[in-house]
Amino acid sequence: MNFIFTEEQIQFKDAIKSFLAEECAPASIRDGWQKNKSFNLERWKNLIELGVLSSNLPEEKGGLGMDQVTLALMVEEMGYAGLPEPVAEQIFLVNDVIPFLPKNVTEAVERNYNDGTQYIALAHPLAPNPLFLKDAAGLILLDNSECKFIAKEDMDFEIISSNDPSRELFKVSSMNDAISTSENFDELNSAVSSRGSLMTAALLIGLAQKMVDLSSIYVLDRTQFGKPIGSFQAVKHMLADVAVKIEFAKPAVYRAAYSLSENNPKSALHCAHAKLMCAQAAELACKNSIQAHGAMGYTWEMDLHIYMRKAWSMMACWGNEDKQQELIFKTLSSTSEELGVLYTF
Amino acid sequence: MHSLKKETQILKMKINFTNEQNVFRDEVRAWLESNVPKTPLKSLDTKEGFEQHREWEKTLNQGNWSMVTWPKEYGGRGLDLIQWLIFEEEYYRAEAPTRVNQNGVFLLGPTLMEFGTHEQKSKFLNAMATGDHIWAQGWSEPGAGSDMAAIRTTAVLEGDHYKINGQKTWSSRAAYADWTFGLFRTDLDSERHRGLSFILVPLNLPGITVRPIPQLDGEPGFAEIYFDDVKVPVENLLGGDGEGWKIAMATAGFERGLMLRSPARFQQTASKLLELYLANQDHCSPMIQAKVVEAWSQSESYALSIYHTASKMLAGGSIGSESSLGKIFWSELDHMMHQTALKILGASAELSQESKNDAAKWIKGFMFSYAGPIYAGTNEIQKNIIAERLLGLPR
Repeated sequence: MNFIFTEEQIQFKDAIKSFLAEECAPASIRDGWQKNKSFNLERWKNLIELGVLSSNLPEEKGGLGMDQVTLALMVEEMGYAGLPEPVAEQIFLVNDVIPFLPKNVTEAVERNYNDGTQYIALAHPLAPNPLFLKDAAGLILLDNSECKFIAKEDMDFEIISSNDPSRELFKVSSMNDAISTSENFDELNSAVSSRGSLMTAALLIGLAQKMVDLSSIYVLDRTQFGKPIGSFQAVKHMLADVAVKIEFAKPAVYRAAYSLSENNPKSALHCAHAKLMCAQAAELACKNSIQAHGAMGYTWEMDLHIYMRKAWSMMACWGNEDKQQELIFKTLSSTSEELGVLYTF
Repeated sequence: MHSLKKETQILKMKINFTNEQNVFRDEVRAWLESNVPKTPLKSLDTKEGFEQHREWEKTLNQGNWSMVTWPKEYGGRGLDLIQWLIFEEEYYRAEAPTRVNQNGVFLLGPTLMEFGTHEQKSKFLNAMATGDHIWAQGWSEPGAGSDMAAIRTTAVLEGDHYKINGQKTWSSRAAYADWTFGLFRTDLDSERHRGLSFILVPLNLPGITVRPIPQLDGEPGFAEIYFDDVKVPVENLLGGDGEGWKIAMATAGFERGLMLRSPARFQQTASKLLELYLANQDHCSPMIQAKVVEAWSQSESYALSIYHTASKMLAGGSIGSESSLGKIFWSELDHMMHQTALKILGASAELSQESKNDAAKWIKGFMFSYAGPIYAGTNEIQKNIIAERLLGLPR
C-alpha cells in the first residue's frame, strides 16, 4: 500500500501546469472566443511537440506508455487552465481505448492519426455532439451497439453552439463510407464511459480549484466596510466548504485512474464515484465562487465564467450526477456484500 | 520548456495491500473473533459500563493490541499507520466495544510520543495501555470554548509542584476517568496563547471536584472539573512551561484527523445504512436512495483520503491544517447518514427500546452525530482555519 505519487508523476503534472500557465492564459482563451476559433492550432502543435498527445500511446508507436494516474494528474491541470483544445478527450477517449477498438477501426484511426493532426473526435450517447469536428481527422461514433469510424471527408456536419464558447460542438448531418462493427461493443462501450467519467472528473477538480483560487484572490482585494471581504466569516466559510469538497474528491480521481491502470473489475464503479464527487465539488465551487465575487461574478468581464462554463459542460456530459448515482446504486444493491470497509482496495 | 519525452521511466503508485498486510489483517481478525465479547457491553457512560470497557482495554492489552503503532517498549507493536488503519477496519467489522480510553490512546498517546520525556512515556503510555489510567480531556472552560486561548484556570509553580485553581468543563469521560490532560495558565501575567502549559492531572487529588453533566442521551459522557488549590507534581508538565498551546494544537490535530477518526467507523455505518435501505426499500422514495449512494461515496472518499494521507506521512510528510478539512467532512457525513437512517425507519424512529431494524441504536447514533460538528473544535472554527491557513484569507 503506497497511495502516493512518484516524483515523475509530479514532474509531469508540474510541466504541464507551467506550460499552460504561459500558453493558456485567460486572454488567449478569450481571443479564441472572439475569433470563433477556440481550437488554437499553434497551442495544439506545441502540445504535440511536448509529447502530451502521444503520452499514453505505447512506446513502439512513439508514446511514453503513460499510466492513467499520471494522465489524470495532467488532465487536472488542463481543467485548472481551462484548456479549450480536446487534449484530455484525445488522450482518454481515443488513445486510451485503442486496445478496445475493433481492428478495422484501429487501423482507420492510426491511418488518420499519422497525417499529423493527431485528433480524432468521438461521439457517444453520454456526449452526443462531437467536439471540434472541423479540426479532426475523423470521428469515432458509438451508438446502437455499433462502433463506426467516419473519415472527415466522408461526412457533412454543422456546428452547434455550446454555452461554453471554448467548446465547438458539432452534429453530423450525413455520412457515407463508414467503417462499422458491433464486435466487442459492450466492453468498448464500458471502457469509453468509464474514461469519460474519469476524464470529466479530473477536469472538474482542476476547474473547481481554479474557481476557489480566483475567489480567494478576489476577496482579498475587494474591500467593504473598510476591510477585505475575505476577512468576513460568511465569505470564508463559503470558500472553506468548497475546499473540503475538493479535498475529498481528489483521491477518488486518483483511485479510479489507478483502477483503470490495473484493470480492476470495479473500475466502472470507481470512475462513477470519482465523477460524482468531482461534479459535486465543482457545483459548489461555481455557486460559492460567483457569490464571493458578488455582482462582478455575474459579468462577462470577470474571468471566473471561463472556468464556470466549462465546469457546467463537464458536469453535464459523460454522465451527470444523477447518472453516476444510478450506476453506483445498481452496483451497491447487486454486490453490497463486497462493498464497504474491507473492499476499498 | 523541455519535452516530456526526455523524462525517464514512469513508476506507478501501489494501492493494494501487500501479502504481509493481509497476513496482519488475518491475525487481527482471528484474535477479535475469539475475544470480542459476545454480548454487547453496557454504555461506557454508565458506571458499570465504564468498568466493563476498562476490562476490555485490559483484554486488548493482553493480546498486545492496545495501540499497534506504539513502540514495543511502551506496550505497542511498532507498526505503521497503514497497519493501524487495517486494525481499525477489522475492529469495526468485528463490532468490538468503543475504546473508553480513546482520549488516552488516540490523543494523549501520540502527543506524549512527540513531546514526552522518556520517563513520562514509560509511566503514562504503559498505564494507558493496561487500562489503569483512563483519560479525560480538560480543554474547555466556562469562558473558553471555541476561544480556547481565553483559558483562565491557573497553575502556579511552587517549588516542586503546580498549584491549580479554576474550572474545566465539557471534559469528555471525566465522570469516571482516572486522569485528565489539559491547558493551564502558568504565567499569570500572560495573555491569550502565551503562558499556557500542558499538564497531566490525576483526578483523585485533594481539591478536585468532578460534577458529571448529563448529555443529550441522558448519560454523563462529560463533566465539570473544579480545582481548589490542587497540588500537581512538576514532572506532570508535558513539554516546556509556556509551550502548552503548541502541544495542544498537535493533540487537536490527532483528534480531528486520522488517529481518532479512522475511516472504518464511517464505512461501517454506510454499509449498515445500505443494508437498512435494501431491507426497507419498498416504502422509501428515490430521494432516500440518493442519500444512501452519498453515504457510500463519501465514506469511500474519506477512506481513500486517509490512506493517501497515511502514505504521505509514511513517506516523511506531515499534516497540519489539512486535518480541519477532514473534521468537517466526517462529522457532516456521520450526521447525514444517521438522518437518512431515521427517515428510512419512518414512525419507528422514535423508539428508544429495542425493536426491528435496530431503531434504538440508530437513534442513539443520530443524537451522538450532533456532537461531531461541535467537539474537537466546532466546524465553524475549522472553516476559519481552512480559510486563513489553507486559502490565505485575512484574520
